[in-house]
Amino acid sequence: MSLWRYEARRAGWPACLAPPASLLVTLALAAAGAAFGTPRPSVHSLLLSGVEALVPLAAATAAVTVVSVDRCRELQLTLPTGYSWTLGRRLGVVAGIGAALSVLFSAALRLTGSWAGPDSPLASALVWASPLLGLTGLALLVAVLGRSVVLATTTVAVVWLCQQLFASALIAGAWSRPFFLFLTSRAGVADGWGTNRAVLAACGVLFITIALLLLRRPERLLTEEEI
Amino acid sequence: MRRFFAVCRYEFRMQIRKRSLWLSTAGLAVLIAVAQGDRGPRYLPADADAARVMGSWALLFSMLLPIGFGMVLADRLVRDHRLGAASLLASLPTRPGALVAGKYAGSVAATAVPALLALLVTAAGEFVHRGDPALFPSAVAAFAVVLLPGLAFVAAFALVGPLVLSAPLFRVLFAGYWFWGNLLGPNYLPSLTGTLLTPIGDYPASWLIGERALYAGTPGWLSFLRPEPGGGAALLSVVLLAVLATPPLVFASPLLARRTSS
Repeated sequence: MSLWRYEARRAGWPACLAPPASLLVTLALAAAGAAFGTPRPSVHSLLLSGVEALVPLAAATAAVTVVSVDRCRELQLTLPTGYSWTLGRRLGVVAGIGAALSVLFSAALRLTGSWAGPDSPLASALVWASPLLGLTGLALLVAVLGRSVVLATTTVAVVWLCQQLFASALIAGAWSRPFFLFLTSRAGVADGWGTNRAVLAACGVLFITIALLLLRRPERLLTEEEI
Repeated sequence: MRRFFAVCRYEFRMQIRKRSLWLSTAGLAVLIAVAQGDRGPRYLPADADAARVMGSWALLFSMLLPIGFGMVLADRLVRDHRLGAASLLASLPTRPGALVAGKYAGSVAATAVPALLALLVTAAGEFVHRGDPALFPSAVAAFAVVLLPGLAFVAAFALVGPLVLSAPLFRVLFAGYWFWGNLLGPNYLPSLTGTLLTPIGDYPASWLIGERALYAGTPGWLSFLRPEPGGGAALLSVVLLAVLATPPLVFASPLLARRTSS
């Protein structure tokens, strides 16, 4: 347990605080919406966006930080423990915080009658788990490939923003629908929802696998400021 | 003043050489140009005037380019501490105020260069089809009133925000804010979209285009900030964005001093 506590500290408080901060912003926006007369279904949809859109964005940005900002990377590379294991534990802490908060938030929404997602508990978990895996996997891959915080965070932010901006077109397109991150909050549990969740999760696993293969040569993560 | 210009010059030279700045600007400009859809500026009638064409392009670029600029600038002041250069900078005779102002001006200038180039390249592309030389001065004018005020606003918060929130947290909140405060329809949720305070440049673009560009003036939350689009409203929007960019810069010096002494 002490090792996990240590890794959480190494991941840094901003990375650990990003998912709860995103849910606080969701709650604040929902409260403002309710106070200014936004219809209840829209408020419920916004609350669902908290776990489906904002927590994955927070976890993905935090993952970029964990990969890109390590002040002792050269020291880590001299240790017998593989660097990918060390990174994996830190990313696990970030993803674990996001997952635990999403479970709690979803449960709270159900208890208060504000849940607008699917009824089954397994399907409820897929509302946040698939985009979390997909977006965090993408963030990890770009961070490892590009070795640049700016490039990786911009990629994550732009994918997220473009999917929000062109939501209607992406939902309508037969080829783009399986890759759409926010299908539950934008279109509900509609046709192709299961395929969409499976494809997003598979993409996430694929991205993480490629990143792990690249991390077999962890010295590629060293940047000009470290060499 | 000499020191301010010196800081501004070195910050500009450091930033302009950043590959990530050029890569993110080029990538985002190409992406939004390709994904613009049939309501985008590429599909304007052949006889559309130059101001309308370049105003539409500037607004289109303004939707995504500032995201890249915000991400690039988010670590500029924090980085000095991470690399151990902050104490060295504090020992110089340059006052913290001049240092922050110089870094801010240099950062805005360096991020403005690729944005202006993107618009000029677009003007050249449009010139091939339309043959109107007025496209080039219109591109510069559209850059000055649509993109630059938003960039100056984003730069102030991106430089100073991470000193309080940390860079990762700032980046998450910035991406969320950009969608909520600029692009989310005001009829869906209370948001700043369509007000004078939108750094996307909705009001100036509406003035250039001659009609509502996106959501400028759409009825919604904070109705006193939603006048009818026009020249006066566009000017007011630019002035308000410049005024709002000032407080973070004023607070930057004490924040930096606190971080350096701790």
